[in-house]
Amino acid sequence: MTLRNLARAGLLLFLVLLWQLLWVRGLPDYVLGPVEILRHFVAALGSAELYDHIGASLLRALPGFAIGTLLGIALGLAAGIARGFDQMLSPVIFLTYPVPKIVMLPLFMLWFGIGDLSKILIIALACFYPTFINAYYGAKSTPTILVWSGLNMGASRSQIFRRIVVPSAAPLVFAGMRVSLALSFIVMFATEMINARSGLGHLIREAENSLRFDLMYVSLLSIAILGYLGDRLLRWTRHRVLAWQGEAA
Amino acid sequence: MTLFLQRMLVGLRPFVLVAVALVAWELTARSALWSPIVFPSLVNIGHEFALFVSRSDRLLEAWTSLYRALGGFALAAAVGVVIGMLMGRSELVAGLLDPLFSGTYAVPKLALFPIFIFVFGIGSLSKVALVFLECLYPIVIMTYHGARGVDRVLLWSAQNMGASRTQILRRVVVPATAPFIFAGFRVALPIAMIVVVITEMISSADGLGYVVIYSLASLRTDRMLAVVVAIALLGLALDHALVILRNRLVYWEKLETYYV
Repeated sequence: MTLRNLARAGLLLFLVLLWQLLWVRGLPDYVLGPVEILRHFVAALGSAELYDHIGASLLRALPGFAIGTLLGIALGLAAGIARGFDQMLSPVIFLTYPVPKIVMLPLFMLWFGIGDLSKILIIALACFYPTFINAYYGAKSTPTILVWSGLNMGASRSQIFRRIVVPSAAPLVFAGMRVSLALSFIVMFATEMINARSGLGHLIREAENSLRFDLMYVSLLSIAILGYLGDRLLRWTRHRVLAWQGEAA
Repeated sequence: MTLFLQRMLVGLRPFVLVAVALVAWELTARSALWSPIVFPSLVNIGHEFALFVSRSDRLLEAWTSLYRALGGFALAAAVGVVIGMLMGRSELVAGLLDPLFSGTYAVPKLALFPIFIFVFGIGSLSKVALVFLECLYPIVIMTYHGARGVDRVLLWSAQNMGASRTQILRRVVVPATAPFIFAGFRVALPIAMIVVVITEMISSADGLGYVVIYSLASLRTDRMLAVVVAIALLGLALDHALVILRNRLVYWEKLETYYV
């Protein structure tokens, strides 16, 4: 185990070292060496500007994620247990699932303005689908035996829903949320690159236009760290909430 | 008779929501409460869509987007399946690459696009490269997952019957992994479309994403919505084609989907 960890660390170190050496040998302007990137990143961490952009981005991604996942979980669970609702809603959802949701952005911009609202709503729309589908399948695949035994022991409908359906759907719901979280960052970044006056996506566009490669890499590194931390946080929550379930991929 | 009516109503249920939405849209468009730029009538959208399908220069834009999406996807499929297989069948490769893939999984690769523009130019290549990168992850992860979980008993019995390593790979590992590979493809294909449209919206002079942004900028929202419909239909058609291909190749395992 330790040997394997050593090999991993070695590979990583080797790649970074190779990159640095290549950079020293001379790469095009738009490729910075790892040491340079780190230096610029640390410098940017000391300035308020980066935090403003990060704050603006998070204020778009997180509300969108919250709205989208909450709606997705609620409607997905509802469609999973109520047949009439399922037959009405699910075909529409599954039919529009492979459609790239980002194409709705121009329309949302018309309806809700070019400010933050249209961005939050498009992020919510993108986050809705994975959680809906996972909550739907999670609720649908609740073992019938469990529902029967709950009924036999005199549980009410709401008790069955709370104590049986929700816990058995929870692992899939978390899997859906994980996909949604990654999507929320992607869509946030896309909307900010297309039109925004703040945020990391805007920062990277601005840096690109003014050939400030250092800022480009700072923005890139920030979004990478944010995405990674969000994913870790979600996995940690899942671990806490689903303690009875073993570790999953 | 009532039973028949009831059955018909149940059969029509899937269309209720769509019908209600379309009628509400048309009523809003006709109500003149909003400008036709905000809510163009369905008739105009339909007209623009017919124009879109019948004009060759517009179809060329669709083709541009399609070949970017499919090109990146095909590359990712070829490379991703090989990497996933290697990771699934070799402890060493998995140990080296797994942290790399799971560590950067949640990072939006789209952030690399400005750098890709500098490296690969502003044309198709930077877009194809980004599609490749975004599609690679789901394909690798699903293939890895599948190849790792090949039933050990099957491998042992193949070995016992004297199968060579290549035979085991071809006859046991690949078929056992195939459903997972296709599951990865199915996640990756819509991603390919998304990435192409986004990158074309950000910086391009051709492709469907560009037409969307251009129509919006010239306040032709009916045209924009017609293109949105075209993109949606294209995404649906690609998904259907993939499912049909999958059911042909992986005929021994039924795919559980809602609408196919």
